[in-house]
Amino acid sequence: MERQITIGRYSLTHTDLVRFIVIVSLTLSSILITALSLARNAGAIYPQLFYFSILYATYFYPKRGIILAGLCGVVYECLVYFSLFPDTLALWSATGQAILFICVALAVAYFTNLIRVSEARYRSIFENSLLGIILFDKNRFTIRLANQQVATMLGYTVEEMGRIAFSDLFLSQDYRRRFFELLGSGEDITMFETCFATKKGKPHWVNLSWSRIDDTIVSCSITDTNAEKTARELAADSSTQYRQVTENSPTGIVITEHTTILFANPTFATFSGYDREECIGMNLADSIIDEDKSRFEVFANRWNLHMPQPDRAEFRFLTKNGEIRRAVLYFTPITRNNQPAGLVNIVDNTEWEEYRERVEQTKERRREMMRAVAHELRTPLQPVLGYLNLLLQDPHSFGITEETRQILERCAKSVDRERQIINQMLELSVLEGEETCLDYSVFSVSGMINAVIAGGGYTLKAEIAVDVPSDLLFEADRQKLSYVIDVLVANGVAYSKPPKKIWITYRDTPSHPFHRLAIQDNGVGITESQLDEIFKSDGGTGQARDSIGETGLSLAIAKKYVQLHGGYISVDSMVNIGSTFTIHIPKKRPDKTDHHET
Amino acid sequence: MKRKIVVVEDDQPILDLMDILLKKLDYEPVLIPNGLDALTAVRADPPALILLDIMMSPLSGWEFLERLRMECNLREVPVILFTASPTVPEKMKKLNDPRVGILQKPVTFDELRAAISQFLG
Repeated sequence: MERQITIGRYSLTHTDLVRFIVIVSLTLSSILITALSLARNAGAIYPQLFYFSILYATYFYPKRGIILAGLCGVVYECLVYFSLFPDTLALWSATGQAILFICVALAVAYFTNLIRVSEARYRSIFENSLLGIILFDKNRFTIRLANQQVATMLGYTVEEMGRIAFSDLFLSQDYRRRFFELLGSGEDITMFETCFATKKGKPHWVNLSWSRIDDTIVSCSITDTNAEKTARELAADSSTQYRQVTENSPTGIVITEHTTILFANPTFATFSGYDREECIGMNLADSIIDEDKSRFEVFANRWNLHMPQPDRAEFRFLTKNGEIRRAVLYFTPITRNNQPAGLVNIVDNTEWEEYRERVEQTKERRREMMRAVAHELRTPLQPVLGYLNLLLQDPHSFGITEETRQILERCAKSVDRERQIINQMLELSVLEGEETCLDYSVFSVSGMINAVIAGGGYTLKAEIAVDVPSDLLFEADRQKLSYVIDVLVANGVAYSKPPKKIWITYRDTPSHPFHRLAIQDNGVGITESQLDEIFKSDGGTGQARDSIGETGLSLAIAKKYVQLHGGYISVDSMVNIGSTFTIHIPKKRPDKTDHHET
Repeated sequence: MKRKIVVVEDDQPILDLMDILLKKLDYEPVLIPNGLDALTAVRADPPALILLDIMMSPLSGWEFLERLRMECNLREVPVILFTASPTVPEKMKKLNDPRVGILQKPVTFDELRAAISQFLG
């Protein structure tokens, strides 16, 4: 920045001031020389002297130069007029000379202006261009000029650029050699892709275009392609990885735009029966069987949302050879070439589904058989139980002796136990089969527990400590939960050692989503291996406990009841110290759909 | 005058048993081995209560119940479903009829008494 000097209301730079002094001195000298030569009657011998100041002034300040030329003309005219009057010829010649001053000044001003405008234009292009521009010497490779763009791109300042050789900008010898070859060909080059090194030595991809300005100077424009090139390399890299992953994937993978297949891996090709080439461009919807098509459309429409979410659904596919296969589709939104696309994993579960169906059928058949068997067992049991009851109701009237009565009582007890086992088997078969609906109601827990204890007469068999808040309410199926409590208390009583003691405790943490009701005994405990067995409904229970027959299936039923509520039963047990069965019931009643799943 | 209880049941040993038990409970049992005959009988002489087996043919217990409820003079007769089938309780729940009770075979003498007295006091 040049120093500013303020004189009056004019603000001048230092250079301006020097020029002003030069112009004034030259003009005054010219006037003085002309005046002296005229005074000595030598005539106006050096009018050309004025051109020095006029040309100098007009070159730097075109408008003021013209004014100066005018002034010089007037002064010259006046001097000649006073000295040479009435020499008409001399006067005409002086006037012509004065006019020539102005004409020369006008011409100079005009051309100067033209140069200025064109230079300004080029400068502005050079400085404001989004391209990097470098002018370099093609013999010595010194950088004559570099604009801010280049400097910023490579991390230098413009001044630093001036001290570097153009050839040193290349990242490696290879890039430099290629550049020399092209430059040596003598042709103007456009878009030569090469790699520069930044000030920190990092690679930076650029495209060079150059043209010769004259014998030595070459103008080179530089396009920054680094971001693009890096992205392309990355994409190529990840695309290779992608390919490797999908080629060997055991699941079918397709990439789709809407539902049109853009890519399919070998597994999908095998699954669908089409070649991989045939798959490309195929509509995924076309390979789905007609019955599932509308459902697929709904599923696929969700892919086109503004922000699609990962999604899954099962469909049946029609393969090329007419086979129907089931598969689960997992959709993941991805971006492909900046366009939204879908990555669809297709997991063939035909065999699995068939297997599952077979298992379901077997289970259903087993349930049906169990029901039929139980039904057939129950009916003949009725007369046995009924007659035994009748005889025991009034033994005297049937002439039954005390000994016979005792025998009959044992028979009745056995029949009753058999009845219970059959009933439990049936209850389980119902629970495992269709959905059982729960009769939800809100009730007092302590009320329910007391009713169960009173109903089972447990206080006669053991000491029972109930620690449940009296105002505690559950929303559940009261009858089924009563059964669960009854089973667990009976279980505790049956397996406790005298003095028998049962603790029923409510445990709660306010933020915990479950009510927890613990039923603890001081009994024989359960070993690790027995723990898995006690809730089972299909055999194996015989060995779990000494006399498991009394409660065997009831624990399995209790477990099912709690599961229907969306809860579970946990067991903590130590052999010879006791067991704690904890019922976990959700505080919030599960939605209908939820408890179907459980 | 003893109150009449109709037992519809296709299993003869159970009919025999019910005959004795109901008499013991001081009711007058009417034993009918199939649903169609039972329907004719109850139309002619409405009983105080019906003990109804479900798995019967030609007319099942459910069909019997349906037809029974269509008769205006039989609509109020209490019915106890007397069955060995495990799926009956769920179906009964859906029926939601306070005049229908259930007894699952086999029942004890006390259970039978309790179930009947629930309707007949």
